[in-house]
Amino acid sequence: MSASGSIGGTARREPHTPESTIGRKPDYLHAESTLRSWFLATDHKRIAILYLASITGFFVIGALAAGVVRLALIVPNGAIMTNDTYNKAFTIHGVVMVWFFLIPSIPATFGNFLIPLMIGARDLAFPKLNLTSWYVFMAGALFTLVSVVLGGVDTGWTFYAPLSTAFSNTWVLPALIGVTIVGFSSILTGLNFVVTIHTMRAPGMTWFKLPIFVWTHYATSLIFLLATPVITTALILLIAERAFHIGVFDPAYGGDPVLFQHLFWFYSHPAVYIMVLPGMGVISEIVPAFAQKKLFGYRFVAYASIGLASVTFFVWGHHMFVNGQSDLASLVFSALSFAVAVPSAVKVYNWTATIHKGSLRLDTPMLYAMGYIGLFVLGGLTGLYLATLAINQHIHATYFVVAHFHYIMVGGTVLAFLGGLHFWWPKFTGRMYSEPWGRISALLIFLGFNVTFFPQFILGYLGMPRRYATYPAEFQLLNVLSSAGATILAAGYIFPMLYLVYSLWFGRKAPANPWNAKGLEWETASPPPTHNFLSPPEVPRVPYDYPIQAQEARDQHG
Amino acid sequence: MSEPLAQGVGVARAEHFESVAQQRQAATLGIWAWLITELLLFSALFLVALITRIQHPEATVAAAKHLKFWIGATNTVVLICSSLTMSMAIEFSRMGWQRAMVRAMLATAALGGLFLVLKGYEYYADWDEHMMPFLSHRPFALAETPAARLFVNLYYVATLLHALHLFTGIGLLLGMTWMAAKAGFLARHQNWIEVYGLYWHFIDLVWILAFPILYVVNR
Amino acid sequence: MTPSHESLQLWPAAVSATATETDLLILAFTVLTLLLTVPVFVAITYFAVRYREGSEANRSPSGIRSNLIEISWMLIPFLLTLIFFVWGAKLFIQSKNAPPDAMVVEAVGRQWMWKFQHPTGQSEINNLHLPIGQPIRLHIISQDVIHALYLPAVRMQVAALPDRYTDLWFKADKTGTYHLYCSEYCGTDHSVMGGEVTFMNPGDYQDWLTHAGAQQGKVAAGRALYEAYGCAGCHEPGSAVKAPSLAGLYGSQVKLADGRTVTADDGWLREKILNPNGDRLADGYKQIMPSFAGRIPADELGTLIDFLKSYSRPAAGKAADATPAGATR
Repeated sequence: MSASGSIGGTARREPHTPESTIGRKPDYLHAESTLRSWFLATDHKRIAILYLASITGFFVIGALAAGVVRLALIVPNGAIMTNDTYNKAFTIHGVVMVWFFLIPSIPATFGNFLIPLMIGARDLAFPKLNLTSWYVFMAGALFTLVSVVLGGVDTGWTFYAPLSTAFSNTWVLPALIGVTIVGFSSILTGLNFVVTIHTMRAPGMTWFKLPIFVWTHYATSLIFLLATPVITTALILLIAERAFHIGVFDPAYGGDPVLFQHLFWFYSHPAVYIMVLPGMGVISEIVPAFAQKKLFGYRFVAYASIGLASVTFFVWGHHMFVNGQSDLASLVFSALSFAVAVPSAVKVYNWTATIHKGSLRLDTPMLYAMGYIGLFVLGGLTGLYLATLAINQHIHATYFVVAHFHYIMVGGTVLAFLGGLHFWWPKFTGRMYSEPWGRISALLIFLGFNVTFFPQFILGYLGMPRRYATYPAEFQLLNVLSSAGATILAAGYIFPMLYLVYSLWFGRKAPANPWNAKGLEWETASPPPTHNFLSPPEVPRVPYDYPIQAQEARDQHG
Repeated sequence: MSEPLAQGVGVARAEHFESVAQQRQAATLGIWAWLITELLLFSALFLVALITRIQHPEATVAAAKHLKFWIGATNTVVLICSSLTMSMAIEFSRMGWQRAMVRAMLATAALGGLFLVLKGYEYYADWDEHMMPFLSHRPFALAETPAARLFVNLYYVATLLHALHLFTGIGLLLGMTWMAAKAGFLARHQNWIEVYGLYWHFIDLVWILAFPILYVVNR
Repeated sequence: MTPSHESLQLWPAAVSATATETDLLILAFTVLTLLLTVPVFVAITYFAVRYREGSEANRSPSGIRSNLIEISWMLIPFLLTLIFFVWGAKLFIQSKNAPPDAMVVEAVGRQWMWKFQHPTGQSEINNLHLPIGQPIRLHIISQDVIHALYLPAVRMQVAALPDRYTDLWFKADKTGTYHLYCSEYCGTDHSVMGGEVTFMNPGDYQDWLTHAGAQQGKVAAGRALYEAYGCAGCHEPGSAVKAPSLAGLYGSQVKLADGRTVTADDGWLREKILNPNGDRLADGYKQIMPSFAGRIPADELGTLIDFLKSYSRPAAGKAADATPAGATR
């Protein structure tokens, strides 16, 4: 076995001088306790906690809106609420969940907290910018909430022109401004991560010693930097179109409403990978830790992350197969979408191979990780159904699409988020959560999720269009089943909120490394001190240096 | 940063960096990453303008005839000059000539201000010629060609966004000049000048792209 | 005939060869999906049991060449799925190129109704009657936002764009009545923007065009307008806004707020709809109805009044039952 991370640029550094005075400093949570010290925090760990609290709030708002949607769909004739109320409910659900929960979820919380720890740095490169990005996020959130309080938006989270620019009589402008502002928060976070990963790695931490979590966040940050500006432009044009009727999406003035869809999906398809890649990073940390085995095919997984982030820029047109796009464009986009499946498949097979001959513990994070693998595989492959042109003609904009992207985003991102939250909870808070309750909720969420969303695949193939406030009576049984599943899912979400908060005061004190996991974040105390490491961390010879090693390290050498 | 710096010029290390070299490397990479996102922001806008130009050539040309070519051209020269003074400020900062640096920064801000004044006059002339189609109460001179309206509106979105960047840039520059005039600034924050210089050159670059795309190719 | 209302249906009806082939494609794809995923699920479960902590299991390296295995599990599934890309693309291209002899039906979408016009000139609102055994090309455009016309029975949909025409063609070979939807979200009543497509034998279709279609179609069309323009939202019994019921109104004597009494005839209804000012207000109601002048084209106004003529009191209950679910919410 040899160090597999010998290639890769090593940044030139001055010799490291340890700090001369290392006293017994309190951890980052107890360093200061005033409100001011939280709201003006520049410590990446505290900012991560600020983000965690805010996105949890948004998750609750988004989940309540989803509850309203599922409630309305119990009856086919729309007797429970008006069509407008229903339309506003699903719009709020989409806007809040996508822009204010899923996109910032893992990067802004775990990424913020863990990247400096994992690479052995004291903080992100730009701590003040990091705090700024949280305030920018909250400013955008405020605008969006204002639009909700004033009466809501009914355009769907996609804001398609000309419905959003000329026809909707709801509060579209504040919501658009909010979403535009949030984009800048993403850009600043992505920029901070890219610079940090490039320049702040501890001596000896070469690129191929970085955990996959850092690799996937690097890929995510590139998407933040390269895709977000385009949606910003699209939204600025949309705002100008709605406020001043500039004509860019209005055919009467030579504009083109489909142009908005192109600009929108040029960002929003890569945005799917903003949501998915960090989750893959989380799973790539959890699986080796609970198998006590080196991640299988480390380099392939690292390359696959960058590969996904690259290919994802060239598949946006698969959202527009039935929107009058040229047949040639559709063919190309369809083929490229099939190619995206390759790097995704690599990861799934590699996680499975990591479990093979490991020494498995099925604690809560691992349960979430296994759930993730199953649901992500289903979500990914149904994505291929949608990328198949002839099938897409039938199931485009039906409940099949709804089921597909919920398998990716809830089954993928949310399970990874919850898995990661349990995995690093001891590190974040210094407390252990209740393991039995953790397992019960993980199982509840897996069960509730499948009962909610699997029927929607069938509904979609039967031809029930999405965003329908009312629907033909023959679809009622499956819809009721789906709504019943949503209540199980809701219970699964409520339990962790309760027992995790409970553990903050009454949980068992956590040791530095409760899972016997590898990675620099486990080398420091739980919770870590303000500057992360009391003495400079020692970078291991290989990443994922677990007791059980796969054959490949030998392979690569010989 | 390979440029040699004069005695007494440098950067104070922030607590979370290991070394000054690391800190400078981070700052440079950070500003480049930011500029790439900014460039993409404008690129998407220019792309839309070019698509409009391809789809509606006659209307675009008719509308572009009303743009004040010579004001645009003068402004291009003004901004190139301001980039020159900014480069001089950077050079002076490396040599430790603080007074000369402050003067060059003030000159840069003044040239930026001149650009905004000229741009403002151009907008006034446009208003006078009924070339503001987004104003619902004021009739538009080219109302019979709908696509002209689209092009003129895109012109406003692009130039206003650029003017906003320039306005912010002047504000930041004046704030920094005020700090830079104090003793000891160059010993602690010389790289601020370097980093800010890149941003200023970028604002210049956006205009150098905007001028041909909006004014020249449509003539 | 109405669409089937069984409580649980697991496979949609297919009426064209393309639809049947699409079904075959997705079934075959599902078989491949199962081949690719079931081993993963089985393996994860098996490994979770076999290699749990503390179990007696051989954990020595298995000697697999990892590069080879990585490349094979990347490429083999990819190449297998490419079969479906090619198959799907072939079917898609076929479905994009309509034969030149196809019968062209014009379709216009607008918030929130579909209007279809047959080559012989008859038009229908929200419902569509078509012959089987003949290629049909729908020539689609929108008058306002982006809509999409979706016919699950032929497994096809295409957007209705405001600025250019799109096409959808198919050849049905089974008679029956199936759903017709708008599948691109278009605002408030998106979910009621649709109706039924009825595939008929060519003879029946000709018959429908000449007889039933002209009559039956007209009243149904008027009913659809009554809903699409939002009349039903206020005038239907049980709606939130209290407006007088229009059932049986035609030909009756109406007492107005200013004390006069008028007969509700064609001319008065027309004026009332276009310019519902205080002079024409019915006794006991507030003046809140908006003017429809400029919003409703003359031919549709005629159709709407024809519907009101037929909207008699005894039939009111029945008519309400026939309303598509949710239209009266």
